[in-house]
Amino acid sequence: MLDFLLAVPGRLYVVATLLPLLAFTLLLLTGLMRRLSVGTPLHRILGGEQPRLLGALIVLAAMASSATIGVTNLQRFLADPAHATHDDAGLAARWSERMDWFRLGSLDTDPPPVFEKQRQENPHRKVPRTALALELGYRIDHLSAVLFAMVTVVGTLIVMFSIGYMKDERNAAVEDHEVEKQTPTVHHFHRRGRFGRFFLFLSLFCFSMLNLLIADNLFQIFVSWELVGLCSFFLIGFYYERPSASYAANKAFIMNRIGDAGFLVAIMIAWTSLGTLNIEEMKHRLRSPAADSHGKLDLAEQFVRVNLEDPIVDDSVKRYSLPAVDAEPGTHLALFPLAWEEADHFHGLGYKRSQDHGFEVPDVLTFTSYGAMPYWLFVAMGLGLFLGCVGKSAQMPLHTWLPDAMEGPTPVSALIHAATMVAAGVYLVGRCFALFAPEVLLVIAYTGAVTMFVAATIALVMTDIKRVLAYSTVSQLGLMMLALGVGGWVAGLLHLLTHAFFKALLFLGAGSVIHGCHHEQDLRKMGGLAKKMRTTALTMLVGVLAIAGTPFFSGWYSKDLVLQAALGFGLTHPQHIALIILPLLTAAMTAFYMFRLWFLAFAGAPRDHHVRDHAHESPLIMTLPLVILAAFSIGVAWGWPLWEVDHSLLAHALNHSAPSFLPTVYAHEYETAHHYHLAVGGAALLAAALGFGLAAIKYWKPRRAMVLGDIKPGTPANFLAKKWYFDELYDAVVLKPTVAIARFAGAFDKRPTEGTLAARRYDAATLDGWLNGLGDATLSAGRSLRRLQTGRLRSYILVLALTTAAMLAILTVLKT
Amino acid sequence: MTLSHALFAILASVTAISALGVVLSGSIVRAAVWLLFTLLGVSMLYFLLGAEFLGAAQLIVYVGGTLVLVIFGIMLTAQGPFSSLKTRPMEWVVGGALGAVLFALLVNAVWPIPDLQPGGAGTLPGTGPLGMGFLGIANNGAVAYLLPFEIVSVHLLVVLIGAAYLARAKRHQRTEGEA
Amino acid sequence: MTDLGLTPFLVLASFLFVCGVVCIATKRNAIGILMGVELVLNAANLNFVAFARFGPPSFRLEGQVFALMVIVLAAAEAAVALAIILNFYNNHSTVDVDRADELRG
Repeated sequence: MLDFLLAVPGRLYVVATLLPLLAFTLLLLTGLMRRLSVGTPLHRILGGEQPRLLGALIVLAAMASSATIGVTNLQRFLADPAHATHDDAGLAARWSERMDWFRLGSLDTDPPPVFEKQRQENPHRKVPRTALALELGYRIDHLSAVLFAMVTVVGTLIVMFSIGYMKDERNAAVEDHEVEKQTPTVHHFHRRGRFGRFFLFLSLFCFSMLNLLIADNLFQIFVSWELVGLCSFFLIGFYYERPSASYAANKAFIMNRIGDAGFLVAIMIAWTSLGTLNIEEMKHRLRSPAADSHGKLDLAEQFVRVNLEDPIVDDSVKRYSLPAVDAEPGTHLALFPLAWEEADHFHGLGYKRSQDHGFEVPDVLTFTSYGAMPYWLFVAMGLGLFLGCVGKSAQMPLHTWLPDAMEGPTPVSALIHAATMVAAGVYLVGRCFALFAPEVLLVIAYTGAVTMFVAATIALVMTDIKRVLAYSTVSQLGLMMLALGVGGWVAGLLHLLTHAFFKALLFLGAGSVIHGCHHEQDLRKMGGLAKKMRTTALTMLVGVLAIAGTPFFSGWYSKDLVLQAALGFGLTHPQHIALIILPLLTAAMTAFYMFRLWFLAFAGAPRDHHVRDHAHESPLIMTLPLVILAAFSIGVAWGWPLWEVDHSLLAHALNHSAPSFLPTVYAHEYETAHHYHLAVGGAALLAAALGFGLAAIKYWKPRRAMVLGDIKPGTPANFLAKKWYFDELYDAVVLKPTVAIARFAGAFDKRPTEGTLAARRYDAATLDGWLNGLGDATLSAGRSLRRLQTGRLRSYILVLALTTAAMLAILTVLKT
Repeated sequence: MTLSHALFAILASVTAISALGVVLSGSIVRAAVWLLFTLLGVSMLYFLLGAEFLGAAQLIVYVGGTLVLVIFGIMLTAQGPFSSLKTRPMEWVVGGALGAVLFALLVNAVWPIPDLQPGGAGTLPGTGPLGMGFLGIANNGAVAYLLPFEIVSVHLLVVLIGAAYLARAKRHQRTEGEA
Repeated sequence: MTDLGLTPFLVLASFLFVCGVVCIATKRNAIGILMGVELVLNAANLNFVAFARFGPPSFRLEGQVFALMVIVLAAAEAAVALAIILNFYNNHSTVDVDRADELRG
């Protein structure tokens, strides 16, 4: 068994992914058995009326094992000798595998139509043989290895934290005051504790997230995508008797679904135009190869846009040509052969024209390519993929679900809505970076920038500790998207990693505060907690410093790189200057509202005596993860020398799996960025210091009235507090018309006591009438036919004899 | 008109008229008697054709066995006014029409069949060869019929056991609670 | 036996057959139906023996054997039929086949 696993070291990753699934299955089965075994001794063993701790410990053990495997395999992966020799084949053999999960047709079946036309032109050309196939596979590169380690470690720490945080759910009866507050008809609401359920869904979530990370094709990613959305739904709606929680869960799932529609469209386009869903293969089809049989190409790994030639000579054979140098870019995107195409049939730009058919290009040689796809379709595919990420990573306009998702328990917010699930969108953009057209990248950058800015402004005025952090998450995700959109691939993903650690830390710290203040979440009622909750206060300070971009904390490295990338892009393309200004402003705002949070919660004098009297530090099981995460938040992005941002070890690791065309495509931007990198660092520090200073002035020793006072309507502060009226906008533009349409459609099926008469009569005359008529006709036909069955022997015999006579007569007639 | 012709004419008429009598008679007992005469006529026809054993077998088994069984059946199922089981006139019409049509078709099919031994080839094999054939001893190239013989014997046994079981006296199940 | 041919016998057999079929189709008494069946079987037997006499030489023994088989089987079938009729009579107190319409659709 161990030999099997070690033969391909990548398989250990699969094992690490499946361990949480195993925990999930165990918990599910025991939960089911508990329900079925009421009244037997087994019922009490499995938890009976009071949930047991064992389930959580099983999940913790599974996650810890996964984390161990993740970390040790990361080390093994980094030490793999194939990296030094650039032995891609060897690397792929040891760290990736694919299998057909579902295949219609064999490998010898005809290829998709895209390839068929070219094959008709030149029958000798080797055509990739594909069939309708859905695959399961994994591919480990630096990005996924590092992220895997991060997700498992953070997951383990959060599971550990939850065991302490959700202790109340281990009681046989839990009283939920929120339900009574929100539903006036319910008094003294009691329910059984739901400890096991929490860990059930948490383990399922971990499994799906890990599967998403190691998957190598869009289909598998999509399945995991939906699964994490589902787990998020369950966990946000954990306290489902509260109407607010159940609405929030619905909202999250539905908004995710809107994004997923885009994702599906992208998958469909990829399937029909490219014939594959494997990300590596898609990349090879869309971008020109790195080298041809004569050596490295000048235009390696670029998008090649071509024009369809007029007139179309033969309907089955289309010819394409490269546009002239300063003409409009082509309307189609050329699709390339796979890596295993025979080299001697391929030529690149710069050589003399060959006898080969294919692309009729003046003066330059033809490509042995396999057709082209319309460029707008390619852009649509990229946009569809990005729409999925918009939904999942809560970018504008699909961002409103994330703050509402804070209805779930705080560890859920930490894991799902800070460190991992929302990071899945950014991860996908990073993974599929090679598949995006430049237009799409620009859209990504602007979406990220706008989201970042708007969310930061809203966070300035939020009073709920979790909501501040939620909007902060939205804002930071926007920053990551911005980084990716302007070509800062390493920067964006490094920020993803560091953000995961310090955001998880901040959320868990908030959870500790909430737990210590007996479920008080309002910042206005806190104050001076640093005295009573030392560890929490200190670790949260670390997190706040990290997010603000304090030098030598992990956030500084990633933020600096992001700002450098943005600067490089903005200066190279002066029309996009907003892409530099917005992040700088946001950096200032981030520092401001994060320090505001810290000061309001921990500094100054307590504002609510009830909270002050009962506040206490959380137990070790909750503070230990805080300390560990604080350590990570400081040191995870360190390198040597410490003050050189570019020398960060993590950035180096990520650089290995960066798309190889980045240096060529963004050469000018990187150069500009490097030239001005000191200026950027200084500007960022200035912004952070500005934010800190303003926050200190306002909130270190704030006036009571200022903090506790209500925001006056009509002021800018109120506009921000109402979250830029996004919810109201969606309500009016989307919800009300949908409900109206639904009501109209429903009118056709209402019973006689409800609904309009006209609609029912119409329905009765058409659809209902036809269907009922069909049924009636069948019944009456049956009734008529029944009369043949008299049951009387004599009539049967008569008919028999008559039939025989008839047959004889026919035979007689036929013979003559 | 030879003797055989005359005999055939008489016997055929007897048989045909008796068959018609079976169909047309209203009372079941009368029908049984008409059937008796039909079977007798057929037996005589066998004798005329030269199949003596068969004629004798017909008399013994059919007339002496089957018909007696039928009459027993009539007796056992006799209930008062069983002669009221009359067929309606409409059914006579349909039945008659059916009969006519069928008869026409059959005669039409039968008429062209030629004699394959014009004038007759003498007598049919007698009881001796028949019996030997049944015992499985083939003489002069004749085929043996031991297997059909055995099959039919077993068949008879099975059928009689079955019939005896079917017709056994059953306890009345009308009144419940009886032991 | 010079001029007597096959055809008269076959015509007579057809007539008997038709009488049997009409008897089955029209009689209401179950035993009447049984009588019809006997008529049909007799007609077939007559056919066999006529062909044995006037047909191909190889059929001379076979025809009689067939006819004998038919007689035996007819007797067996009559026994079973009567057993069924007796059962029917026990259940319905009548032998009117029109009463046996429990399979009516």
